[in-house]
Amino acid sequence: MGFAYDFDWGVLWRQPYGIWLLQGIWLTLKIGFLGWIIAFFWGIIIGTLRVTPWRWLRLMATAYTEVFRNIPFLVQLFFWYYAGPMIFGDHLGRQINQIMGLNYYVAIFALGFYTASRVAEHMRAGFASISRDQYQAVLSTGMTQYQMYRYVIIPYALRIIIPPLTTEFLTIFKNSSIAMTIGVAEITFMSYRIDAITFHGLEATTGAMFIYLVLGLTIVWIMGIIESRFKIPGMIGR
Amino acid sequence: MKKLLITLTAVLLLVGFTAGPVLADQTMDLIKKTGKVKLGFREGSIPFAFVDPKVGKHVGFSVDMANLLAENLGKRFGKKIEIVPYTVTPKTRIPMVINGTVDVEMGSTTYTQKREEPADFSMIFFFSETTFLVAKDSGIKKLTDLSGKRVGAARATTNLRAIEALVKEGKFKPKDIIITETHPQGMLALRSGKIDAYSTDRSLLEGIRMKDKNPEKWMTVPFAIAYEPYAYIMREGNSDFRDFVNDTIIWTIKTGKFFELYEKWMGPNGVVPIPMSQAYRDYLNMMVYPISDGWWKK
Repeated sequence: MGFAYDFDWGVLWRQPYGIWLLQGIWLTLKIGFLGWIIAFFWGIIIGTLRVTPWRWLRLMATAYTEVFRNIPFLVQLFFWYYAGPMIFGDHLGRQINQIMGLNYYVAIFALGFYTASRVAEHMRAGFASISRDQYQAVLSTGMTQYQMYRYVIIPYALRIIIPPLTTEFLTIFKNSSIAMTIGVAEITFMSYRIDAITFHGLEATTGAMFIYLVLGLTIVWIMGIIESRFKIPGMIGR
Repeated sequence: MKKLLITLTAVLLLVGFTAGPVLADQTMDLIKKTGKVKLGFREGSIPFAFVDPKVGKHVGFSVDMANLLAENLGKRFGKKIEIVPYTVTPKTRIPMVINGTVDVEMGSTTYTQKREEPADFSMIFFFSETTFLVAKDSGIKKLTDLSGKRVGAARATTNLRAIEALVKEGKFKPKDIIITETHPQGMLALRSGKIDAYSTDRSLLEGIRMKDKNPEKWMTVPFAIAYEPYAYIMREGNSDFRDFVNDTIIWTIKTGKFFELYEKWMGPNGVVPIPMSQAYRDYLNMMVYPISDGWWKK
């Protein structure tokens, strides 16, 4: 029994579908990059707090990491979008719900905060891989704890964890497809939308796959350049 | 050269066998052979096909219709035909019929020309209207009242497309269109003030409304923006099976069983009360072709 399916690759560039895909790409890029900026800086802060000598800060950072790391992103996104505004009470919650493009902002922040917990864990691994002697060497020069992390340890750790960060940077673009479930019209949403109207889901999904692949490979390439410039010889790659 | 010829012949033979005309109705043959008919049901399409939490099984108008279909198939083949239920979603219902996972989807699928292309449809057995659920005190009475408001609809539904078409034609200008994943999420968005009106078929909206803690707070608006004919989905090229499904529908109308089922699920004491309009009743009575008991025998 053959499949009664006529391929029509034209749905990938015929109008308005081609424009939809381009709009989807633009939105995916925006969500991914903005989410990554939040994830990167917030992740460094949380990761650093997890190894500081102050117990309460350490506890709070650990709690943050464990909460965000252990709940599926889909569930988090759904929670922040539907239940999030209710935290602020009925009146303020309703006003938050009136914000135009709320789902887009929620997607960026949810993605950023979720990925931050993962970046924080990589940071911790980076700190752990730096030997005790080096911390003591820095402190013996008269630097304070803050100065030690700010000028020596964090830049040092970041250079060590470039490979796992590349993976996280890739993952944030892939995870952005989950924003579809709260109605953000990114690539996956658009390919499903084309499917719903033309019933050519195979072509639309293949198109989306190809776009993600090109996007991913571009990121790998850029991160490869960064890695070759900033890696510490002997630590990653030879 | 000889090798090439042999290969070419083999390829031609292969193409000839696979692409040859299908002589028998595969669906009917398979049902006869296995004694099973594979049904696709929705999970939350109240009152047509949904899972009853008390018994954990699919129930509803279309599920009862499927039982009648299986009964008739049993009469045709002279043995008990069992229903194998599968859960389908709006996204999977057509692909699952095409790839043979299910023989027929019986739920609340809107019949459209685009959907007719990859699959076959039964006769139209119900008409729903695309309309809106709003708060009773919102004062929304006509379409233009929705201009400047936020409206919501589920992704990949004909309802969403109807709204988008009206916006394109300039019939009304909503402030924003919020797209949800499921109908319960749409209700959640409506309750929390994310949207002012949620759109889907009237029957489904009434179902959602009845499930709310406070059904009296909400109402479906008195106008419709589109009509949706419901039909069952089958694979293309299995016309014997399609005839059998259609005969079953016609036969239930003729014998009054159809109206009993309607009363059971959508009557005043049904799960979702939807008064049967005169036009719909006329349609049902007029499309009945002469059919007598024993039609199920070949």
